[in-house]
Amino acid sequence: MTLSEAETDALAELFNVGLHRAAASLSEVTGQRIIVDMPKLVICEISEIEQRLAELVGGEIATVHQIFGGSVAGDAVLLIEHEKAAALARLMTDGDAATGGRLDQSAREVLTEIGNIVLGACLSGFGDMLQLPVSFSVPRIHIESLRTILGSLLIASNEPQYAVVVATQFRLSELAVDGYLVIAVGARSLARISEALRNRVP
Amino acid sequence: MTSGERAGDPALRSEAMAEIGNLLGLGVLSVDKTLIVTGWNEWLERATGKPRAIVLGRSLREVEPTLRPAAVAAFDRAIQGSVVVMSQALHEYLLEAPAPGGFEHLGRMRQSVRILPLRNEASQSLGATAFIEDVTERVAREADLRAAAEAAQRADEAKSKFFTSMSHELRTPIGAIAGYADLLASGMFGTVTETQTERLARIKTVASHLQHIVDDVLAFARIGAGREEAALTDGDAITLAREALIAVEPLAVKKGLAVRSRLPADRMPIRTDQVKVRQILINLLGNAIKFTERGSIELEVSLVDEGRTVAFSVLDTGPGISQANLTGIFDPFTRVPNHDRPKPGTGLGLAVSRGLARLLGGDISVTSEVGVGSRFTARIPR
Repeated sequence: MTLSEAETDALAELFNVGLHRAAASLSEVTGQRIIVDMPKLVICEISEIEQRLAELVGGEIATVHQIFGGSVAGDAVLLIEHEKAAALARLMTDGDAATGGRLDQSAREVLTEIGNIVLGACLSGFGDMLQLPVSFSVPRIHIESLRTILGSLLIASNEPQYAVVVATQFRLSELAVDGYLVIAVGARSLARISEALRNRVP
Repeated sequence: MTSGERAGDPALRSEAMAEIGNLLGLGVLSVDKTLIVTGWNEWLERATGKPRAIVLGRSLREVEPTLRPAAVAAFDRAIQGSVVVMSQALHEYLLEAPAPGGFEHLGRMRQSVRILPLRNEASQSLGATAFIEDVTERVAREADLRAAAEAAQRADEAKSKFFTSMSHELRTPIGAIAGYADLLASGMFGTVTETQTERLARIKTVASHLQHIVDDVLAFARIGAGREEAALTDGDAITLAREALIAVEPLAVKKGLAVRSRLPADRMPIRTDQVKVRQILINLLGNAIKFTERGSIELEVSLVDEGRTVAFSVLDTGPGISQANLTGIFDPFTRVPNHDRPKPGTGLGLAVSRGLARLLGGDISVTSEVGVGSRFTARIPR
């Protein structure tokens, strides 16, 4: 199961719109100008995801995880390297959180809010543009290694699992933060997304 | 109404969530799609001082006239189906309430909030429920920790600045003392008697000792301030070991100690800061000589960690160090107390050596046995 080039481009555009919405929301919440880069998108089998992500992120990682359900269902995870996550939380709170590079409770809460906004904005495109509305669980933050995080996504299932990896960059003040969204879905959900995209692709 | 329908009744669901909130110590506020309050638990009654009897059935805007636009927008998003997180650090609070006892100085209660959509069985929106956690105590604790960390950092910076400027102020006159002693001894200012020559030699020895102490203090201040940098070049571990032995040999000979070495015959290439490694070795060998009254000192060089690291071990036949005294031996200004006679020094040599070894990606360890001797090992990556 894979998406055609045109479908992949359309999905990247959908995430691009979502990320810009997220940037606008974050700018409003923090009172700082936040911009995002055009995302790069890769679709792979879930078994390949560790190798793909290991080329991009390493060490301890802060992740915000939400389960989503509805017409399509799966796991949505935002990953940011620990150090960058702390810098992001510190800048967004004018230094009130993550002092000394530690992700204290306040910093974790801020990152949970950021993750919730980003994941919500990106996946709301499924409902708005593809007519595949989804609902979310309460977001949870984890600070772990990539392997542990991905291990929690590799659930035994009787259908093949796929991952959509969206790489982007958030920029505010002097800081550029690489963020990675992983949308893990089963073959049935990916087929529904593919069909909805085909209906939209001219 | 059947029991199944009753279980799905939004009012009953609000009631159940309110009770769970009371048990968990959370505020639970439910509103319908038009922001009319449908749930207000006891926790909220206590926190805001507003009894549920006068709150239920009224608009949230009316109940909370100071409700901020961001809060209204958050409820709107939840009513439309989104889960909303409002972190304390970005929003401070959802509902205005006084800070709890003991934290009155903070004014308002700080809150962490999750707002969830409220839907019926057919997934139609009925409103939203906010779960409010009082995080005032945690925020106060974090602020205290932040203030303490900032104060500690300021103190550390001040200490480093003090050390650096004081050491510079000391170096210049020490240099002048040694220089003038040399000039006097050379006979430039007139004939010097044998007694005067001997006294001038003492002045030079003391000045040199003082210079050594100031150098230790300066190095320690630079490492502490993160200003010490490693200049990596290609070299040979065996050459470094030989150079260090040559530098300390006269001291050992003066004390009647044998100097031994166990060095591999072949070159042992190492890419590191050669000057700093030499300084570490001279410090460790100098210490061994200082604390050993009879017997020998030995320098052993080998490869460990599958050839990735060079281990330089300095062994002595000194008095040894007890387990109790080994703890904190690398801490600055630490001196081993049980020697017969106090030895000169600042107690900074080992702290500086360990700081330099760590700067190069390595470390120093020690094993010792009272009455037998000690072994200090510097492991430096190649």
